[in-house]
Amino acid sequence: MSGTRPINCIIPPYILDKLLDSENSEVRQAALDTMLLTARLRGERAIRSSFTGAAAPGDGRRTVFDCEQEEFLRNAVLARPEDGPESTDPAVNRAFDALGLTRDFYKEVFQRNSVDGQGMRLDGYVHFGFKVNNAFWDGRQMLFGDGDGQEFSNLTGSLEVISHELTHGVTDHTSGFVYHNQSGALNESMSDVFGSLVKQWSLKQRAEEADWLIGADVWTPGIGGDALRSMKDPGRAYNNPQFGKDPQPDRMSRFIHLPDTKRGDFGGVHFNSGIPNKAFYLTAVRIGGFAWEAAGTIWYEALKASSAEDQFQDFATTTFQKAGELFGAGGPEQAAVLSAWQEVEVPIRGVPTGVARIRSFAANGSGGAGREDGLAALARQIGTLNDKVTQLAKDVAELKGTR
Amino acid sequence: MKVALESYGGLAAAAGLRRPPKVLDTTALPAAAAAELARLLAAAAATPPEEPDGRARDAMSYTVTAQDGDRVTVLEQSDAAMTPAFADLLTWLRKHHAQQ
Ligand SMILES: [Zn+2]
Repeated sequence: MSGTRPINCIIPPYILDKLLDSENSEVRQAALDTMLLTARLRGERAIRSSFTGAAAPGDGRRTVFDCEQEEFLRNAVLARPEDGPESTDPAVNRAFDALGLTRDFYKEVFQRNSVDGQGMRLDGYVHFGFKVNNAFWDGRQMLFGDGDGQEFSNLTGSLEVISHELTHGVTDHTSGFVYHNQSGALNESMSDVFGSLVKQWSLKQRAEEADWLIGADVWTPGIGGDALRSMKDPGRAYNNPQFGKDPQPDRMSRFIHLPDTKRGDFGGVHFNSGIPNKAFYLTAVRIGGFAWEAAGTIWYEALKASSAEDQFQDFATTTFQKAGELFGAGGPEQAAVLSAWQEVEVPIRGVPTGVARIRSFAANGSGGAGREDGLAALARQIGTLNDKVTQLAKDVAELKGTR
Repeated sequence: MKVALESYGGLAAAAGLRRPPKVLDTTALPAAAAAELARLLAAAAATPPEEPDGRARDAMSYTVTAQDGDRVTVLEQSDAAMTPAFADLLTWLRKHHAQQ
C-alpha cells in the first residue's frame, strides 16, 4: 500500500455519514467542503514533515557577502559575519540589519526560529551582478542587485523587499505554495504581507498608519511617491511613461490570465498577488491596531496550515477557520476576514454568500448584528467537524505507524 | 549582426512586461568591441546552460538573440542558474547599454 493514499481514501465514507446527519443543505455543503479541504491539508502536512531534512543550526546567524558586481557566489567576499564589526559599505550594513529585523520579527511575533523554524543561517549577497534590477531568493540565500538607478536603486534600500525575499524561504518551509498561477500568487502575497509586517513592526505602526507599499524606497528613484506594489490599492502603485501603469488586480473579476511560463510570470504570480494582498490589508484595517497581532497571526497560522496547491478560495477558507479558532467563531476578527475576502470577490467555502454579505455589512459598521448567531453557529459546526477530521487523520497516522 | 537582450521576471515582473528589448548592431561598434562580443556569444553558446532547481523565487530571466544574416542564436538563462560564460556576455551587454 502506498504511504500517502490511505488518509485521502478513508475520509469519504465519514463525510458521507456526517452529511446524512445534517438537515440543513448549506451546512451539509459547508461540512463537505471544509472536511475535504482539511483532510487534504492534514495529509499533505503529515507527508511533508516526514521528508524534513536535518536541522540547520545557528539560530539564524547572519552572514553578508559582497559579490563585487559578479554573479558568482563562490567568488563572493565575506563582508560582515554575525559577530563582525560594521562594514564601511552601507549596502552590507543595510542587508545585515534587515536580515536581523526579519529574523527578530519571526522570533518575537510568531516564535519562529529563522526561515525554516530550526535556526537556519541567513546568508545575504549584495552587489550581485552589474547594475542588476532585482533581488531574489535562490532557494537557500538572498541576493541583491545594485539597480541601474532608473528602474531601481540599490535593492538593499528597502526593508520590506529584504523581508519579502526571506519570507519566500518561510513559505518554502511551510505551505510550500507552488510557484505557478493562484498558488504562486499566494506565495508572492505571503512575501508582501510579511514583508510589510516586518516594516510596520519595526516602526511600531498601526494598520491605519502604515503605507502598505512595497519597495517605495527603491523603485524608480527618479520618481517620487510611487512604489512597486500597493497592498492598500493594487493597480495604483505607479504610473509613469517608462513602466506604464501598475497592472495588479484588486479583485477576482479583474484576475489576470497569463501563460504559465517564465515570460508569463508563471501565470502572473506578481500580478494576481494583488488580490490576496488587498484581502490582508482590508482584514488588518478592519480589525485595527497592530496588523501583525491579530491579522498577522491569522495569516501566519493559515500559511502553516495550507498546502502546496491551494488556490485563493482554499486559503481564504483557511484564514476564516483560523480566525474562528484563534479569536472565536463569529467574532469581529472572523467577520473582518470574511468581509475582506468578500470585497475582493473570493468566496469562503461553506459560508453561504448571503451570510457573507450580511457579515460584511456588520464588519463595515452598518449593522447586521442580528445575524451574528447564525454565522457563529455555522462556524462552530465547521470547527467541530474539523476537529473530528483532525482526530481521524491522527488515528490513521497512528495506525500506519503500528504496521 | 544584431544582438537583442530581453529581461523579464524578477521582483518587478509585473512592470517588466513592458521592458522593451535592448538591441545593438555590431556594425555600429568599433572592430575590437564587435570581435569581443562575437567571442562572448560563441563562448556562451558553447556552454550548456545549468538546469535550474525550481526553488528560486523572483529570479529574473534573460534572452539574448543574435541574428547574423539567416543565422539566429537564442540563449536563455536566469539569475538563479547562470553559466560563467553567459554571465560574462550579460555583463558586457549591460555595460554597453548603460553607456548608451
Ligand atoms: Zn517574491
